[in-house]
Amino acid sequence: MSHLDTDVLAEFRAGLITGRRGAKIAEHLAGCDSCTAVDSQLAGVSVLLASVPAPVMPDSVAQRLDAALAAEVARKNDPERTGPEHAREAGKSPRRAWPRGFRLPSPRVLAPVAVAAAVVLAGGGYALSRIASPAGQVASSAAGSAPSVAGSAEPAAGAAQEPAASPLKRAARSQGLNPPDFPFVTSSKNFSPAPGTLRQQVAAALRAAPAAGSGQAVPAQVLACVQRLAGGDRVLLAESARFGGQPATLIVARTGQGEKAWVAGPGCARVLATTSL
Amino acid sequence: MPDADGEWPTDQELLRRHVAGDAEAFGELFRRHRDRLWAVALRTVCDPEEAADALQDAMVSAFRRAGDFRGESAVTTWLHRIVVNASLDRLRRRAIRPVLSAGDEQAFEALVAQDGDPARTSDTRLDVDAALRLLPAQQRAALVVVDMLGFSVADAAVILDISPGTVKSRCARARARLLPYVAHLQGNRSASESVQPAQGVDP
Repeated sequence: MSHLDTDVLAEFRAGLITGRRGAKIAEHLAGCDSCTAVDSQLAGVSVLLASVPAPVMPDSVAQRLDAALAAEVARKNDPERTGPEHAREAGKSPRRAWPRGFRLPSPRVLAPVAVAAAVVLAGGGYALSRIASPAGQVASSAAGSAPSVAGSAEPAAGAAQEPAASPLKRAARSQGLNPPDFPFVTSSKNFSPAPGTLRQQVAAALRAAPAAGSGQAVPAQVLACVQRLAGGDRVLLAESARFGGQPATLIVARTGQGEKAWVAGPGCARVLATTSL
Repeated sequence: MPDADGEWPTDQELLRRHVAGDAEAFGELFRRHRDRLWAVALRTVCDPEEAADALQDAMVSAFRRAGDFRGESAVTTWLHRIVVNASLDRLRRRAIRPVLSAGDEQAFEALVAQDGDPARTSDTRLDVDAALRLLPAQQRAALVVVDMLGFSVADAAVILDISPGTVKSRCARARARLLPYVAHLQGNRSASESVQPAQGVDP
């Protein structure tokens, strides 16, 4: 018998080769130092892999997960805030259902935001004025129009947000709506993923914030993001900037537990970081 | 936290409470396992940004779909299965994504720079991580679950949604493929102090 292939030895080790063929391999190994050495090295691969230190979850990831979980809990406890999401769920396509057992399709965290933006657009001045109304009033959305909008919004969820901005701004101007009661600015700041630095940067941004309503018009995406993250809390600042070099939106609000800031990725798709001041 | 009677609730109990409306239960359950879940996501997708996305996707799915858990496997097996699925899903999406933008790369670097204490980032880990990238995703996922996380072949079969025989053959092929890249590391005891060498392995 010639020397054994590494694949064959690995399969033999894994118990995949038995019977007469397995017996022949065992017999060969007993008398072949070269193949025995390879076999030992194969055993060593598993030992080595088991010994590699586990990676440490970065603080930024832990914070992101905490923020995402908090958003889920809030969504579950406050169905009104996410009415359109429920409407969409009720009419969801079979593609999104679980095919069997608990196998997962690709979950989309951002779907509720996209749908919210679409509903705001459909609801026109009414929904916008609710979002832009004084703090404490959460936009309840034009619930009546939600199901039909949700059905058409789902396939193009990501695309729905971009064109939403300018028509909304035009609508807001033409209807003479009050500006939102929080300052919004666009800056070239690059917020740091390092928690300590981020907290300082956010505090500085808050100190430098202009008076409410004196800033720029607020894009619909930012309004939707504010609504999603801050909910009914009093919003102190929204700022379009960067985070770790990537476009991001900073939202600061006064919550029951003090001032809190969220950094959301493009389209409010993900909460990249949170910090408390 | 412990119950009033001083007992720590089981995973299954926490999941049951979550489904029943307890706002804290899922967070407690997830925090219990998230370091291992992070490890499986990071090693399956091989990059911190994608791994964070996958883990967040998985966490949200598990939160929303907890009612579908039927107790046919351990809760931790169920959680790992969701994370592996989300990770492989990320890889599939990345495969059709053309190029990385500069913004992405900077975000990666920011995350990598934050990846814990540099002293713990041993050379062995870097070499093994690099070697793992050479494997096809399905083989890598099997090897991570069995050899790195220590799941039994039976549990790995549930996590990966494949037969036990397929788990074994994917792991076998992966080990054979890795061998040339990691054989030189096997004498590196500093990386394996906490693990007893297997029989027949020369130190």
